[in-house]
Amino acid sequence: MNDRETEQGLRGQAKALLEEGKVNYIIGYEPGSLKFTTTPLITKDKDSVDRLVISPFIVNNLSEYLTELKGRIGIVAKGCDSRSIVSLIQDNQVKREDVVILGVPCSGIIDLSKVEGLVGKDRDEIDDIVWEDSKVTITVAGDRKEFHIGEVLFDNCLGCEFSIPQEYDILLGESSSLVVDKATSREKIETLEAMSQEQRWNFWEKEFSRCIRCYACRNVCPACFCERCFVEESEPQWMAPVPRWQDNLMFQVIRNIHVAGRCTDCGECERACPMNIPLRSLTKEMCDIVDDLYHFKAGMDKETAPLMTHYETTDPEDFIK
Amino acid sequence: MAGSKKISKEDVAELLNEWNQEFDLFIPSKDEDVAKLAKWDGKDTSFLDWYRNTVVPPKANFLPSMEEMFHFQKDKEGYHIELPSSNGQKQLIFGIRPCDANAMAILDKTFEDAYEDPYYLSKRKNTVLVGLGCTKPYDSCFCTSLGSSPTDSTNVDLMLTDIGDWFLVEAITDAGKELVAKAGSLIGRATKADETRAKEAREAAHSKATRHLDTKDIDNKLLASFEAQDFWEEIAAKCVSCGVCTLLCPTCYCFDISDELVRDRGARFRSWDSCSFPVYTKMPEENPREEKWRRVRNKVYHKYEFYPINFEVIACTGCGRCIRQCPVNWDITQTLEKMQAKAQS
Repeated sequence: MNDRETEQGLRGQAKALLEEGKVNYIIGYEPGSLKFTTTPLITKDKDSVDRLVISPFIVNNLSEYLTELKGRIGIVAKGCDSRSIVSLIQDNQVKREDVVILGVPCSGIIDLSKVEGLVGKDRDEIDDIVWEDSKVTITVAGDRKEFHIGEVLFDNCLGCEFSIPQEYDILLGESSSLVVDKATSREKIETLEAMSQEQRWNFWEKEFSRCIRCYACRNVCPACFCERCFVEESEPQWMAPVPRWQDNLMFQVIRNIHVAGRCTDCGECERACPMNIPLRSLTKEMCDIVDDLYHFKAGMDKETAPLMTHYETTDPEDFIK
Repeated sequence: MAGSKKISKEDVAELLNEWNQEFDLFIPSKDEDVAKLAKWDGKDTSFLDWYRNTVVPPKANFLPSMEEMFHFQKDKEGYHIELPSSNGQKQLIFGIRPCDANAMAILDKTFEDAYEDPYYLSKRKNTVLVGLGCTKPYDSCFCTSLGSSPTDSTNVDLMLTDIGDWFLVEAITDAGKELVAKAGSLIGRATKADETRAKEAREAAHSKATRHLDTKDIDNKLLASFEAQDFWEEIAAKCVSCGVCTLLCPTCYCFDISDELVRDRGARFRSWDSCSFPVYTKMPEENPREEKWRRVRNKVYHKYEFYPINFEVIACTGCGRCIRQCPVNWDITQTLEKMQAKAQS
């Protein structure tokens, strides 16, 4: 995909939508304040849309903002983000007629922590990251190193099945080939599956011992749209507010079940976690279980009922003993 | 600078083992790539190569993310309350960055001056801080905008400055002098050349802290923007109301208190809380900061307005964690710049 052309097209469309009064807000990405970082741009101002960008660093799933803004919204959506929007429509959280989806075909997003790991430098010590075809060139102190692009894309991007938005009003740019590496995408999960129950328990004890209950995982998740989360219920109290690892684990397990059939594997929970807890190992596994049991992928069709509000007589019931 | 000392980097492990006999000694460590302070294991000094700063701030050693305040038991006579046992062990934090040492002095204003918090103070008074000057500030660091620098030694007991194969060692307090004495021959005299190298290192580090924010008279300038709702709505729009910036802030100190009760026994805990959370100010009938823009405004004003009014110091050290860790790149320096530009327009 030629990002510059897509970007120009996007700015023109966004400006027209605002000028013609078809939307009250545009939600997209603009350059961030740190290297290789973009940041959400939420604006009513037609001149601000000139700041919109498309790049391999547009990490955020912007559909997160749809439920809090009032009015009609023009929103930039990658494949997984568009499925989150559809899922919100299915759940009656967003009306289809209130969103103008500016779809962007996506060939994957670059995971800066993988880049940092490959070159052994922090993001701000890296001069340049250039993606061309199937190669990425990373420059550190004038020294250029080439890698296969598959080595630096997010795990969820490597397992992506629907890089072209499933639902859109305007499709910007052309789709280009997707780098798929299902093995790497599921590697962490496979490792967990190979463990004994005790090893897995010890693994999650260690991981959730780091959790500080900042709730970034929940707050960046478009599927977590509850006005009041169970974890904050105090009468009666469902969960202890203290970040004890067992409580942290329980919080995440319940959150996972709540987003089953809604999670589109956008990977935002894991990316947002400041404590590097591999949350996608839970959410992706949940997505796969949902697919296996119910042949259901989240956010594919806005006319379909949400998974957990609906049943078929053929649904599996072997869990009832 | 007369009388400054030095230690070889090769001798750091031995030095730490020496100090470890008297103190619970903490060093920067990585837990699955997340840098935080951890107990010294007696050998691993690899942090000397990778350490820039920790993700979890050192405040966690004084105000842990969860802490038992007391436990209790109920019988016919009523409740019996017992305080948690304290080991009274002295703590040494090795390698604290100047920004984080400054943050401790800022926290003291709340936990010592405003009221005396026994949980915090029992640890704080029992701790010595060995500072390590930065050589590679992050692009998100802005300590030089807050009257400090990557090699500021104001709030540490002993200060180390990287001069190549050695650290220049300066005792700042009596506790620092005692540490030098305990090190015996591991810490030797620095030469004039070492001191020159330290001066150059300080200047080099200072010049690498490139993010700049004009903080002169900032509290007065901010007053003009307090009521500007439209401005705050725009500033707050992309915030997702998570607790990353506040919980990982070295000067944020809010905590929640909760009881856990099973039959007739239980305990009271306190744990980190965040003014970014909508439930933070929720009361039975109303919530004065239900809207996101009010919460974002509060966070900024607490640091740059209310703290200066109450304690004559800005409650921000420019450590940059809130910028580095934010999942949506909400950047406090951009907000403060916009506010100041607004005040002048």
